[in-house]
Formats: sequence, C-alpha cells, structure tokens
Amino acid sequence: MTDIRLHSNDDDEVVRGLRSLYAAPAGDGYWNELEARIMARVADVELGWWTELDRWVRPALAAAAILLLAASIAMFRAHEAENEIAVDSMLSSPTVPVSTGIRPALQDDREARIRFLFGSNR
Amino acid sequence: MSVAIPLDLTLPVPSLADGKAEERALVVAAQNGSSDAFAALVRLHQRRAYAVCRAIVLTHEDAEDAVQEGFLHAFKALDRFLPDQPFGAWLYRIMANASLDLVRRRKVRDADELPDTIAMPFRDPGESDELRRRLSQALTTLSDRQRSVIVLHDVEGFTHGEIGGMLGIPEGTARSDLHHARAALRRILKDVRSDL
Repeated sequence: MTDIRLHSNDDDEVVRGLRSLYAAPAGDGYWNELEARIMARVADVELGWWTELDRWVRPALAAAAILLLAASIAMFRAHEAENEIAVDSMLSSPTVPVSTGIRPALQDDREARIRFLFGSNR
Repeated sequence: MSVAIPLDLTLPVPSLADGKAEERALVVAAQNGSSDAFAALVRLHQRRAYAVCRAIVLTHEDAEDAVQEGFLHAFKALDRFLPDQPFGAWLYRIMANASLDLVRRRKVRDADELPDTIAMPFRDPGESDELRRRLSQALTTLSDRQRSVIVLHDVEGFTHGEIGGMLGIPEGTARSDLHHARAALRRILKDVRSDL
C-alpha cells in the first residue's frame, strides 16, 4: 500500500515515535462505545424531521412536475382556443369597404391641414 | 423498508480476504434501510476512519468528533454511493473532509491556542520519553497538511495517491509534503541525539 518506506535508523525511529503518538485507543470496549455513539446519532438522524421531509421531497417534486405540465397544457389549449375564435370572428364578420372605413379620417385630416395652411397664411 | 440480502449481523466482522463481497452486501443492505448493516460497516471501518481523522485533527477528542460526523455524512449520502466502488476509499474521503471542516472551525474559534494542543498524545499526558516529547514539538513546526501527510503515509500506510484524494491535493504535492516533513523531523531527531 505504501509507496515509499523509510530505511535509515533515524527515519525508523521517527516512524516509531509517530506511531506511538498517533496510536488508536486499544481495547474493544472503547470501539464498542464509539460504535454505539455513532449509531445513536444515526438513529437521531433517521428520526429527524428532515428525514420525514426528505421522504416527501420526491412525491412533492413529482406532483409539482405534473401540475406544471397540466398548467402548460391548459395554457396552450386556451391560447389555441383564443386563436381559433379570433380567426373565426375574422372570417365570419362582414367585409367593411376600405373606402368607407378610411375616407372620413383622411378627409378630416386633409381638411385640418388645409385649415391650418390657410389659417397660418392669413 | 425490506432488506433484500439476508445477513447474519451477529457474527464478527469478516476478514479482509472475503471481506469485499461481504462489505458490498452490507452496503446494499444499508442502502435498503438496514441500520444493523450500517452498524456492521461502522464496526468494520471505525478504527481506520479514526486513524484518518486523527492524522488530520489535533486531538483525540476532535478525532472522535470527526469520526462521528463522518459516519453521519456517510449515512446521509449512502444512497448516492455506487456499491461497485471501493467503500473504504469513499468513506475515508468523507472522514478526511469532516476532519478538515473541524480543523477549519477550530482555527476560526481558537486560533491562539492551536500550537499548544497540536499532536499531543491523548493517553500519555505525563510523557517522559525525550524523543517523543521532541517529536511532538517538531510536529508543531510542520504545516497542518505536512503533518497529516506524514502520519497518513508513515503511520497508516496510505499511498500518495490515496492521501491526495483524501486531502484534495495533487499526488505530487503529497509526495513533496512528505519529503519536507520527513526532513524536518529527521533534523529534530539529530538534535535530540546530539543533546543526549
């Protein structure tokens, strides 16, 4: 596992010293107790509120996705229906002659200009 | 949730020879919600996990905290672990991260006290051996990372690549840290010899 090993006596002594400084606790009692503490904390996590929340995250996300899809479809259909109504109303409405629709406005505009020009010349 | 793979969790943890398949089965069972299987994984890895944490943090107490935090993180992230990967490497990386987080928090909190508490043996408060005393002092002259690297390599036997993966540094940096740390400790040791 180790790629380089120490060879000199000094290094061996350093390693021995380090091993003694960093020695893990001996005795099964200590490790059994540590395991118990870890598992107690895990049990707390298992029973915690966030676990309950976590349990609901996926169904909630799925429900949100379904709602979003349904809303999109509804909006699309509503938009389509509006378009159809608009097209239908355009096709079914009687044709208005362009001249009758525009001429009064043009005439009014023309008269106004003439009035303006004559008025300003005076 | 039901556990798909039947396991006799009352038996002692299996030896390393047939441990891989057993460990994989434990991981799958734990992923399926078996806390007994997770306890067996804790039993299997807690000593090595402690060693990883101890190499990074400054005291035995911090190492204990980091181990517990690490296992909690692992438990929460277990469903994201792919059972075909080596569980140990994944777990020890989590342990290293938990330890590094703890060191960062400690540094922010008690920045002035760190040099006094660094690398002191937890079970040997009345240390009499001169070499060990000097070694403890010498370790305080190393950077946190150099100290972690030399302990993980020379005491725990991790490779440079594994250490790099755990500490989030390139393999070459781990190699160079180890070289500098050894040189510093060797120097101290020579001083001790000349003093004695």
